[in-house]
Amino acid sequence: MLRSFPSIVTLFIILFLLITPSKARVYLDINAPSFVQLPIVLPKWKSLGKTPPSLSIKVYEILSNDLLLSGFFRVVDYSKLPPLLREKEGIPDPLLISEWIHSGGEMLMVGDVSLEPNTLQVILRYHLVDLIEQKRLVGKQIEGHVQNLRYLVHRISDEVIFQLTGEHGMNTTKLAYVMRQGESKEIFMADFDGSNVKQVTKNQSINLSPAWSPDGKKIIFTSYLKRNPDLYVMELHKEGTHRLSFQPGLNASPSWSPDGKKLAIMLSREGKSEIAIIDSNGTNPRFLTKGHGNESSPSWSPDGQWIAFCSDRSGSPQIYVMDTNGSNLRRLTYEGNYNTSPSWSPKGNRIAFCGRVGGEFHIFTIEADGSGLRKLTSNSGHNESPCWSPDGRYIAFSSTRTGSSKIYIMNANGFNQRPLTPSKGGESSPTWSPRF
Amino acid sequence: MSKKRTTILILLVFCLGLILAGCPKKTVVKEEPSAAARREEAARMEAERAREAREREAREREAREREAREREAREREKAKEELEKSLIAKKTPGIEGTVYESTLLKTIHFDFDKYDIRPGDAEILKENAAVLKKYPNLKIQIEGHCDERGTEAYNLALGERRATSTKNYLISLGISPDRITTISYGEERPLDPGHNEEAWAKNRRAQFVIIAK
Repeated sequence: MLRSFPSIVTLFIILFLLITPSKARVYLDINAPSFVQLPIVLPKWKSLGKTPPSLSIKVYEILSNDLLLSGFFRVVDYSKLPPLLREKEGIPDPLLISEWIHSGGEMLMVGDVSLEPNTLQVILRYHLVDLIEQKRLVGKQIEGHVQNLRYLVHRISDEVIFQLTGEHGMNTTKLAYVMRQGESKEIFMADFDGSNVKQVTKNQSINLSPAWSPDGKKIIFTSYLKRNPDLYVMELHKEGTHRLSFQPGLNASPSWSPDGKKLAIMLSREGKSEIAIIDSNGTNPRFLTKGHGNESSPSWSPDGQWIAFCSDRSGSPQIYVMDTNGSNLRRLTYEGNYNTSPSWSPKGNRIAFCGRVGGEFHIFTIEADGSGLRKLTSNSGHNESPCWSPDGRYIAFSSTRTGSSKIYIMNANGFNQRPLTPSKGGESSPTWSPRF
Repeated sequence: MSKKRTTILILLVFCLGLILAGCPKKTVVKEEPSAAARREEAARMEAERAREAREREAREREAREREAREREAREREKAKEELEKSLIAKKTPGIEGTVYESTLLKTIHFDFDKYDIRPGDAEILKENAAVLKKYPNLKIQIEGHCDERGTEAYNLALGERRATSTKNYLISLGISPDRITTISYGEERPLDPGHNEEAWAKNRRAQFVIIAK
């Protein structure tokens, strides 16, 4: 029994603290240059009723892979659990949190699947539990047609990542890239987890530098179809690719403005490459650069006010920034004699680029004011064409570390570098879609 | 006199009269020609001779010209044959148009990361210019290429410069700019897929293709 007033107050304070929503707790500081991965326990999912067991196995595979690929988690999958917990599956009722406290994780995720045999609608239910605070964070379900199963699971992983980091995951995004096919280069795309590889262009030409539109509906690229590097646009949900910009000379290396209304491109004038801005329908070219340098690789800032690009006007290729009128020019890179291919983070603060060090190409990031240079790759062949994820937490790039060039993805701090697809190589020039 | 003699005399006079009557009515005046008439005659004959000479000259000139034309035609025919023999048609799937490469138009090369024409390559371009002058109907495209090092976009810009500086040099040698177009392929169409200095040197080039002959 409570004997004194101070005890009652203390009790209330403790109760108050326990009941307070844990959003104040920082689970993962993803902005730190390095962080400790969060251990998450993943018992087996359950197929309810007559739902085939293969379905819950499939869901588990996709989910655990998503969490692993995110780089934020150390996944404790069911095979790593002590014998008593290993065979538990689905969402137990009641959810005995205490059972799981010593399972080796800070978070617990459980779920089940049911398939309606006639409509082929599938329902995925899941719970996310904080084992430290001993409370459930999320209890939700998502449903859809079974042919969209991968997408549904990706939405779940995105939600888990949102709960734990404050931002949704990238699991529903896709990447497009260039794939060498003999003498030609075609554009391909793949999911964030490397599945669903699809060929996007089939024209046997040389197709280069794809750029996904901010609304996810179009891909713009350069092609030599008409014996000139012209800019084409492909609508992803209807038939039709058509030419957008076809000035004699270069119409290349497009970068979308954040509002999707304009493109910054390489455009030839008097036989040399300049940076120009055109409308997204290919009209109204306006040159931003002039002079004696070779200008390449424009990249629009997320606030729509600046363009980063590569110029060799100082004698060697370096990264510069200018405003969308071509004024207020400043040089960003002063180390090394070959810095190209800038890509501005959607978070606005950092620019990734490719720099040559000792004969090898590596991915660097630098603050938009030129400070804080960081080298993200090493001992890994040539690493080029960096491109940010829409949340600014990942960078895709091409790497020849295994011999032939392949697309890799890493966390923005350089951790967790992994190939996008299981292909043998010939991949380059990645571009990232928005979340779908 | 006797009557017989008188008759013969009368007959003779009569015959003489007849003879005289039978003579032409016109009177032929066989005078000596005067000096003026002589000069006129000479002039006329001179003109006649000159006319004949001119006609002869004209015929000879025509014959010479015809011979020259035939000779030129034979030479052009021969040149055309030479050109045709030197041609290789190039049709690339995925890139519109058939173009021709010719052994008469030689490729030039560049130093790493550079687009200026080196002296040896300038000599090759002089030869190429001579070929272009010999075949005035040729229209060409100059392709600028790079080796695989460096980034794709930067190499597109570098290839563009290589094609342009080659074109500018040919223009300075008197070739009309409307006969030349340029294109950059960056690092996308290497001649040698190798990853060594030798391959890279081969790939840093300006290559000529014929788009009209």
